Amino acid sequence: MKNRRFVWCALAPAFLLLGCFYIYPIVFNIQNSLTDTSLFQLRQGGNYVGSANYFELFTSPEFGRVLWNTAFWLTFVGVALRILIGLGLALALHSRTIARYRLKTFARLALIVPWATPPIVSIIIFKWLLDPRVGDINQALLGMGLIREPIAFLGSAHWVWPVILLIVIWNTLPLVTLSFVASLQSVPDELIEAAEMDGATALQVARFIHLPHLKPAIIVMVLMSTFWTFNNFVYVWLTTGAGPGFLTNVMATDVYIKAFIDGRMGFSSAMGVVMAAAMLVFGVIYLRVVAAREFKDVLR
Amino acid sequence: MSLAARDSQFVIGRLLGLRFGSELLILGFTLLCLVFFLYPGIWILLASFKTPETMFAKGVGVYTFQNYVHLFESGFTQALINSFVVCIAAVLVSTFVSVTAAYAFSRMSFKGRKQLFQTVLLGQTFPWIVLVTPLFIWFARIGLLDNWIGLVAAYVAVTIPFSIYMLVGYLQGIPRSLDEAALIDGATHFQILGKVILPVMLPGVIATATHCFLVCWGEYLFALAFLSDESLKTMPLLLQNYFGDGAPEWGLVMAASVIATVPTVALFLPIQGRIVSGLGGGAVK
Repeated sequence: MKNRRFVWCALAPAFLLLGCFYIYPIVFNIQNSLTDTSLFQLRQGGNYVGSANYFELFTSPEFGRVLWNTAFWLTFVGVALRILIGLGLALALHSRTIARYRLKTFARLALIVPWATPPIVSIIIFKWLLDPRVGDINQALLGMGLIREPIAFLGSAHWVWPVILLIVIWNTLPLVTLSFVASLQSVPDELIEAAEMDGATALQVARFIHLPHLKPAIIVMVLMSTFWTFNNFVYVWLTTGAGPGFLTNVMATDVYIKAFIDGRMGFSSAMGVVMAAAMLVFGVIYLRVVAAREFKDVLR
Repeated sequence: MSLAARDSQFVIGRLLGLRFGSELLILGFTLLCLVFFLYPGIWILLASFKTPETMFAKGVGVYTFQNYVHLFESGFTQALINSFVVCIAAVLVSTFVSVTAAYAFSRMSFKGRKQLFQTVLLGQTFPWIVLVTPLFIWFARIGLLDNWIGLVAAYVAVTIPFSIYMLVGYLQGIPRSLDEAALIDGATHFQILGKVILPVMLPGVIATATHCFLVCWGEYLFALAFLSDESLKTMPLLLQNYFGDGAPEWGLVMAASVIATVPTVALFLPIQGRIVSGLGGGAVK
């Protein structure tokens, strides 16, 4: 069959690369998680220790906090804020008010700057803005008389999570907003006009016409943002280094700390397997809910 | 309702103070968001041209190109070249193999298509940090640490799933009648892909490749784990070095941030629409 040869040739390069540098590492990682491989004796490898790493992980007092930080603070709050503010901003940008003041194009351009900014640059900018000595945020709060002493935001247990989320939102809200704005563009005008004829208020139009229309886009963005945030390493690592203490440690930074700071590669792999398994659950939801509809032809 | 009627209603409503409150709310919220989004970028752009002494002082600063001169005299030029080489190599390989794979997924039906495509899609949801430890151990054993081949291989692997996803989405929008006509004329699939489909899907390929480039350009994690030799380090690693832990070299930090970001914004502008509709998938189309 000529077609079969073509399919083989077309898929082989991509899957060869994925096999070597994506799938093999995943399998190798599971294997490592059953050993006590150390960073300092990589060539020898480690001894087989069975499920000892998993047992230690699940019984360690740190594990609960890492799980809570990852699931609640970083992922749940991070995703919820993005979706809610993104919806509000998209509806505002779509409104006649913004059209009347001719702000829409400008706003869309303005949104591209934070989106295009590499995460590492975003983090550096905000670490400067939040600096207790030279940062603008403390200066402004002092100037307005809201605080008497500068706040060390990144060293304060009270402020550190809101501040990490502020950076995540600055960097990632634009994509969510622009996606909602694009989706709103396809709401038929007649529908809105008919609703207004019948005396619907702006709030009712948003609630009963815009929101239902946005539902598929909201589902896609909730799932995508969940992947991007749950898996993310740099926002927490470069902002706080999982500190103060280990207060903001999340699963991604924990995998790194266990492997490259404590040098316990095997133990780190166990955490990695748990992390991957957790994300797989969302991955399957994504396949069922979004991909099955989006790629009907391919996933028949 | 005609425009004039709408406007008169607006004016009347405004006189009665009915619409005014919500108008103000929408406008205020939007402007607040815009200030939040634009302020940090504008500030860093201005600061990068000020001397470190006047950077944080109140009032007008002393403007200079010194920060940029210092920056390019430091190792940053080498880091930019390193980043550029690594990213271009990764993008070329990743895009090439993704184009052929996406064509096969989109146009051919074969056994295992569903399962293979699902595997690719799951690759998009997988945490990269979990790949770092096993790749590090493996690369240490075969001598690919502190080696661009190792870093490029990792970048290629993690960008393939997104590229295939974007390109299959794009191919779905290209009518099948195009390749079917060529098939009837006796063209092989290699010829159809190269001569019929590729020219049509070129905008999608360029958008995908650009996005790939930008992902690699800002990538920090793999570079941090795999590169320790100063002369091989990529741009994000050096930027973080300047920022340091205790006393940041503010002049270099500001200038380096601007240099790192200006090209990404410029590359983003033409492709952002395609990325938004690609990621929104069926939701937007």
